[in-house]
Amino acid sequence: MKKRAASSGRRAGVAVIAFFAAVAAFAQSRDSVVAIRDATILTVTKGKIEHGTVLIRGSKIAAVGPNDSVTVPAGAQVIDAAGKFVLPGIIDTHSHTGVDGSVNEISLPNTGMVRIGDVMTNEDVSAYRQLAGGTTTALVLHGSANPIGGQSQIVKWKWGHPVSEWPVVGAPRTIKFALGENPKSSNFRPPPGTPLQYPQTRMGVEEVIRKSFTDAKDYTARWDEYDARRKRGENPLPPRRDLLMETMADILRGNIDVHSHCYRADEIMMLLNLSDEMGFKVRELQHVLEGYKVAREIAAHGVGGGTFIDWWGYKAEAYDAIPYNVALMERAGVLTSVNSDSDELARHLNQDAAKAMKYGGLTEEEALRLCTINPAKQLRLDSRIGSIEVGKDADLAIWTGHPLSTYSRVESTFVEGEMLFDRQRDLQLRKDLAKEKSDRLKKEADDEAAKKKKDAAAAPAKKPEDTNE
Amino acid sequence: MSRRSVCFVVLLLLAAPLCADAPGVYAITGGTVHPVSGGAIEKGVVIIRDGLIEAVGANVAIPPDATVIDVKGGHVYPGLIDAATSLGFVAAPRRRGFGGGGGGAPAAAPASQAPETSPAFLAVREAKLSDDDVEAKRATGVTTILTVPSSGIFNGQSVILNLGEGSMEARVIRAGATQQVSFTPRAAWTYPDSLMGVISYIKQSLLDAQQNAAALAIYNQNPAGNKRPDQSASADALAAVLRRDVPVVFVADSELAMRRAMAIANEFKLRYILSGARQGYRMANDLKSIPVLVSVKWPAAPASKEDKEEQPLRVIRDRQLAPTTPAVLQKSGVNFALVSGPAKSGEFIAGIRKAIENGLSSDDALRATTLAPARILGIDRQLGTLEKGKIANVVVSDKPIFDEKAKVTRVFIDGRETKLPSPEDTARRGAAAAADASPVEGTWRITVKTSTGDASITATLHVENGVVTGTFSGDRGSGSIRNGSIDGTTVEFTIAAKTETEATDWVFHGTVSGTNMNGTVSTNLGTFQFSGSKGQ
Repeated sequence: MKKRAASSGRRAGVAVIAFFAAVAAFAQSRDSVVAIRDATILTVTKGKIEHGTVLIRGSKIAAVGPNDSVTVPAGAQVIDAAGKFVLPGIIDTHSHTGVDGSVNEISLPNTGMVRIGDVMTNEDVSAYRQLAGGTTTALVLHGSANPIGGQSQIVKWKWGHPVSEWPVVGAPRTIKFALGENPKSSNFRPPPGTPLQYPQTRMGVEEVIRKSFTDAKDYTARWDEYDARRKRGENPLPPRRDLLMETMADILRGNIDVHSHCYRADEIMMLLNLSDEMGFKVRELQHVLEGYKVAREIAAHGVGGGTFIDWWGYKAEAYDAIPYNVALMERAGVLTSVNSDSDELARHLNQDAAKAMKYGGLTEEEALRLCTINPAKQLRLDSRIGSIEVGKDADLAIWTGHPLSTYSRVESTFVEGEMLFDRQRDLQLRKDLAKEKSDRLKKEADDEAAKKKKDAAAAPAKKPEDTNE
Repeated sequence: MSRRSVCFVVLLLLAAPLCADAPGVYAITGGTVHPVSGGAIEKGVVIIRDGLIEAVGANVAIPPDATVIDVKGGHVYPGLIDAATSLGFVAAPRRRGFGGGGGGAPAAAPASQAPETSPAFLAVREAKLSDDDVEAKRATGVTTILTVPSSGIFNGQSVILNLGEGSMEARVIRAGATQQVSFTPRAAWTYPDSLMGVISYIKQSLLDAQQNAAALAIYNQNPAGNKRPDQSASADALAAVLRRDVPVVFVADSELAMRRAMAIANEFKLRYILSGARQGYRMANDLKSIPVLVSVKWPAAPASKEDKEEQPLRVIRDRQLAPTTPAVLQKSGVNFALVSGPAKSGEFIAGIRKAIENGLSSDDALRATTLAPARILGIDRQLGTLEKGKIANVVVSDKPIFDEKAKVTRVFIDGRETKLPSPEDTARRGAAAAADASPVEGTWRITVKTSTGDASITATLHVENGVVTGTFSGDRGSGSIRNGSIDGTTVEFTIAAKTETEATDWVFHGTVSGTNMNGTVSTNLGTFQFSGSKGQ
């Protein structure tokens, strides 16, 4: 779970109003051609191109290279980005943005049947704000209240689009596991009168996961037997279809990627050993603040780590966290990313990546990878996103300066070729939406006043009417 | 004294046509007849005989045995049909010990919602309509309702009732008319306690019913050697839904909720109806093949200017556009009816008027409260118009029924004239409602002492039948009050409290004393104290 969050100021008019950009769906032709000219292009996988051009055709990157090597077709929209930087869209593998209702189905030790994808909303302004920070893709996770939480959802922040268009088509299915304090209810208690929920210890957490997989194997065997009997021409009673067991069986089949919340080295090793024992694959360890203690073991299992750069000490299991965790894991061969677990941090993951150069001395390119191609690999979407390469999704942002500088900010953000955030347009929208709000409130007040006046005028006329019966 | 002899005495004393046992023959004359099946008839005549409509028209001979009722200048309509109510279900929390009457000490048990519903729940068996409820409904011109509890996820099997006098058996038009489903999470730590859990729960319940039906079919053919499947009333009820014998009513107000309902319905190939639909204005084109019951309980603005200005434009815009939904659906050719939803009786007509102010014609409004709901519920051969052979539910008003000053003057149900509330009844009911509303009704400024500092929340609470609804806003985002209930002075409700990182349920347990409320909040970070005070 997370560092505690500052309450968001609801009176922060600017940000709230930016939210209303939802309605102004930014229509753009699917075949339109955009050329971003004369920028410093941080491709992430193919180095840095000074005075380069990115050509976007429809939703894909059509060409990238030095200015003179890219031909801009007639009719293309040309954006002069001289002196500016282009970075692939930032990818956040730990988000809870855009979920309607609670992110935790807290009621059972294993709630693998529930799906974040069923309750995504496109009305969460945080999605738009993240675009303003250059973030375009996120893994939206179930909470960490139970050892096995719900199925998670990989989305792009397609602000202004129907929510049905937000999930990344063809992306792997994912599920949230959680180890340590949260799933053993250390940090929250049910209301008085409600019994404590199993598990209450780390031992219990392990057993919940083990038993769930054992049950799933029994479940699969029951269905296999049923299918075999049907093949033999028998007509047996069908077994129960159980959405939870189907989820667990799909994890065993490799159809669902496990992203597990964890802190301590002992519980990390527990999960790695348990994955060997039960035969499932952990794709990414989330938080993994003591990952540096067992980095070689994590790397040997081919498991990724998505972590915070400098959050620590916010609960007992976070006491041993160090800012060098990222560098130590990366150097030990762990596929490492920085992620947010926060609507706020998700807006500047570039800065957390930059800190890895200070803490542990990662190179510029290694730092950039932490929030781009590495998380793309953790999500198994690196063939489509995470770098600026021909054929990849045109998810990128134009920055005023180098994204690893704290003074740089985003000018425009593109998702699949469509400009969904633009600072200048945003400034205009704020004015328009503020005006709409004051107009609407004025109309309401006027209507109310008119009604009061009418009621007052009608009141004396009431008497003769009453006697009319 | 038996009911019959009571009637006899009443007849002797008053010679008034009030006896439930004598439908009789009536000729309603002198008014403008709005049959809905056709255009208005000036100075039209409606003949009622033995509970049915015998004739409607301008030049209808008045039978010699008819009691002539001259409603000169009045307007005559088919009784209105309110296709979404929870009338007859005291959703108040169950009280420990001898339940019922107020005035006693608050119950010690934490408040919880009643009744316990399931797909097998039969509204026809459990509905307890009070005379006050029925008369208040009639006074708005409503003669037929669909009712089912609003509590739970599977709210149960609804019943369609005529609001005449007499027994429940005599009132029933159709029992088990619909299966109603609400996306209402249960209290925290009871599956499902999240919206996504509710969706999984609904799907698993349908899968279980499918499996049960398939297993029973095989077992009944070949019991030897097979394990006997469970007999489950809930599975049976859902099997009827899966066979499309019974339509599912999904209670869904927002566009997102409606789309979630549509996804489930399409996955299981259900016959279904959307109820609520107040954001229908956003998606009329996608509703063309779906019957929709639009609740006219329109979103209300907060009372104070400051609260209004603090609301996001999204909420203000939605509040102003929601009442355009009926007009938008009408224009798009959507099959819709207007319903009171969770509104109080008096608010039904006011809500319809607001739809008319927002572009719906009066004729279309009339259709949307008569023939359209009858068609959606599949009772249009019996009800919904003034036509020969249909059930004689007839309403007379002194002015066009949706006129602001209109008053319903006579109501016939199943061909019998029924009682309307007297001014004293109305006053008494108003006083009772006011008493019922207190002490929780109103806008509360609440401070929660969390482990990370104070959180200020403004909650506007509304009480009806012991259920607390409303909205909240403040330091933890904004949204609807859920799972709210009041039991004496003990109040309980849940909000989805949003921080920078997540939304988690905060469950409030409090006690109200005058304009103060104190208690605890259970959250995922622990249990905190809160205190609140009621503003004006």
